[in-house]
Amino acid sequence: MFELIKNLTDKFGVSGNEEEIREFIKGEIKSKVDSIEVDALGNLIATKKGNGKKIMVAAHMDEIGVMATHIDEKGFIRFSNIGWVSQNYSLGQRVRFKNGTIGTVFFEEKLDDLKSLKLSNLYIDIGAKNSEEAQKKVNIGDTAAFCGPAELAGDMIISKALDDRSGCAVLIETIKNLPKTDNEIYFVFTVQEELGLRGAKTAAFRILPDFAIAVDVTLTGDTPDCKTMEVKCGMGPAIKIKDGSVVCHNDVRKLLTETAKKLNLPIQYEILERGGSDPGAIHLTAGGIPSGAISIPCRYTHSPSEMASISDIDNAVKLLKESLIG
Amino acid sequence: MDYKNVLKELVGIPAVSGFENVSGARIKSLMVGKCDEIMIDSFYNVIGLKKGNGDNRKKIMISAHYDEIGFLVKSIDDKGFIKLTSMGGFDPKILLAQEVLIHGTREIEGIIGAKPPHLLTPEETKTAVKLVDLSVDTGMEASEVKKIVSIGDIVTLKVPFLELQGGKVSTKSLDNRSGVAATIGIMNELNDKTLKNDIYFVATTQEEVGLRGAEVSSYNIDPDIAIVIDACHGDMPDCSKDFTYPLGKGPAIGIGPNLHKKLTKKLFDIAKRNGVLCQTDVEPGNTGTEAWAIQVSRSGVPTALISIPLRYMHTGTETLDIADIESSVKLVSLFLAALDDEMEETV
Ligand SMILES: [Zn+2]
Repeated sequence: MFELIKNLTDKFGVSGNEEEIREFIKGEIKSKVDSIEVDALGNLIATKKGNGKKIMVAAHMDEIGVMATHIDEKGFIRFSNIGWVSQNYSLGQRVRFKNGTIGTVFFEEKLDDLKSLKLSNLYIDIGAKNSEEAQKKVNIGDTAAFCGPAELAGDMIISKALDDRSGCAVLIETIKNLPKTDNEIYFVFTVQEELGLRGAKTAAFRILPDFAIAVDVTLTGDTPDCKTMEVKCGMGPAIKIKDGSVVCHNDVRKLLTETAKKLNLPIQYEILERGGSDPGAIHLTAGGIPSGAISIPCRYTHSPSEMASISDIDNAVKLLKESLIG
Repeated sequence: MDYKNVLKELVGIPAVSGFENVSGARIKSLMVGKCDEIMIDSFYNVIGLKKGNGDNRKKIMISAHYDEIGFLVKSIDDKGFIKLTSMGGFDPKILLAQEVLIHGTREIEGIIGAKPPHLLTPEETKTAVKLVDLSVDTGMEASEVKKIVSIGDIVTLKVPFLELQGGKVSTKSLDNRSGVAATIGIMNELNDKTLKNDIYFVATTQEEVGLRGAEVSSYNIDPDIAIVIDACHGDMPDCSKDFTYPLGKGPAIGIGPNLHKKLTKKLFDIAKRNGVLCQTDVEPGNTGTEAWAIQVSRSGVPTALISIPLRYMHTGTETLDIADIESSVKLVSLFLAALDDEMEETV
C-alpha cells in the first residue's frame, strides 16, 4: 500500500491539470476493468459491467497547488491559489511545475507582521537570473504542486496530496481485488474537486447511478489543542454523516455501517462542520442520487505534510470492497 | 380546518434537515385523503398529486419545506456531557438553559447548561457564547449515555406549544411547518373540486442546509409553475420595517428578480379581486427560499413566493398569527382554481 501511495502522491495533478496522475492510474487498473474512458472534463471512469445495482465510486485525483500569474523583471514569480492554499503552510515550501521546474516559496522580508501574511506577499524563486531566463521554464498560467515526498513513520504516511491520492489508492486496490458481483460499478477518479466538486458533478450526470460512495480524507480531532472532532487517525475509516455540502443518505450510511459490523472492522463517524466533498455534487444530480462516503482520517490536510494511517486506508479498502458486492 | 391542531401535530414531528427519513411517513399521513396519489422520493420529499382533467394540463408545484433546524450529537465527553453541531442557523445565545430531546436508541431529555452568573468571568459576561462552549447534560454518566446516544443522533429543542392571545401561537419549527399546514389546507380546500391542471403538493426536505430537497424534487417533477410557501420575518420591537411584516395582515407576496413577474401579478390580482389580505415583500436578489433553487431547475421555472410573517425566526418561540395561514390557503386555492381559465395570461 505504501508503495502505491508513494507513486500516486508523486504524480502531478493540480486541479485542471490532471493528465499525469490520470495516465498513471489508467496504467494501474486498465487490465482489471471492462471499459475505461475519459470524459469531457477529464474524469477517468473505469467500469466493471454487470446487471445488478449501478454504483458510482468516486475519489478525486486532483490536488491543490498554485498558478503563476506574473513574472517580474528579476525572475520572481507571483502566483494565485488553485483550491484552498494556506499562506502559512506555503511559506518556505518547495513547489514543482509540471515540467519539473522546482522553486522555493518565500515572502517579502519587509513584512514584519507575519499574522497579516497573504498569498500576495509570497513569491516563487526558481533560481532564474532575470525575467527572460524564468520565462524559458515557466509561463504565466502554468501550475505547480507543492513538494512533499511520501515517507513512512510507523503506521503513518507523511506526504503531500494524501488528499485524495489515499482515496485513489483505496479505489485502485478495490478494483484489483474485487470479488465477483453482479453489480455494475463505475470507479471514477474525479477532477477539479478542489475547485468546487466539478468533476463529480458531470460524472454523476453521465452515469446516473442508483447510489454513490466517495472516498476522500477528512479532518481529525487528535492533535495538540485542536478543535473538537471525534475522528482520530488509526481508529479506522470514518463513515461520513455530514459535511458542509451533503448530509449522507441514511441507506448508504446504513450499508457502510452494517458492512463494517459484519467484517468486524473498526470505524468512526465523521461530522465535518465545514468544507465539501464529491458527494455534495453527486447527491444533487438529476433529481437526486443517494450518496455517502468513506473518509480517511488525515492530519494537516492541505499542507505538504499530510498524515494518515496505513491501517485506516487498508480497512477502507476492506469496507469498500464488501459494500460493493452486496 | 383547525390549523392550530394541524400545526401542533406538525411541530411534534422531528425532522432535522437531512434526517427526515424518520418523519416522511408522518407528513404523508396528513395528506391522506386529500389528493389522488402520495409519493415519498429518495430525499424524503413528500409529494401529493391532485390530478387535473384538462386536455392541455400543466404541472403546478406547491412547495413548502418540512425540515427544521436542529442539532447532531458531535461528541460525548468522559463525564457524559454532549457537544452539538447545528444543522441550519441557530444563534447560540438562545440555546442557553434550553431543554432538548435527544433522539437516540430512545428519546431522552437533556438540558443545555448555562454557567451561573457567579462563575462568569467579566470577559464572559461581555462576549456572546459559542456553540462549542455549550454542552447537553442528560444527568447520566458517560457509560450510560453511550448506551443510548451515538455520534450523529439528532437533537431537537423541547418547547411547549403556546396559544397566545389574539389567535397567535408560539413554538419551535413554525418555520416552516406553517407553510406545510397551509399546503395541507390548500389540499383540503380543493379536495372536492376537479381542476384542469395537475397539482403537485410537495413537503420538501433539507431546505435549511441549502434548498436541496426543492432542487431535487423540482428536477423530478419538472413543473410549469411553482409556488413556494415559506416564512418571512414578522414585525418585532427594534427591527427595521424594511425587512419585517406585521402579523395578521396576510401573507407577503415576494417581488423581485427571483420571482416571475406575471405570475406574481396574478397573485396580487386574485388577492385584490377576492378581498384576501396580503402584503408586499421586496426581494432584490436571493430570496433565501426554495424559489431560488426552483427558478433555475432544468430550463427554468416561473416561480412565485408567498411568505407567512413569523416573529423570532429560528428560535424555540417562533410566533405567528393563524389568520395568516388561513389567508395564504385562501389565496393559493383561489389562484389554482383561477388558472383553469387564466393560464395564458399568467405565464
Ligand atoms: Zn479531498
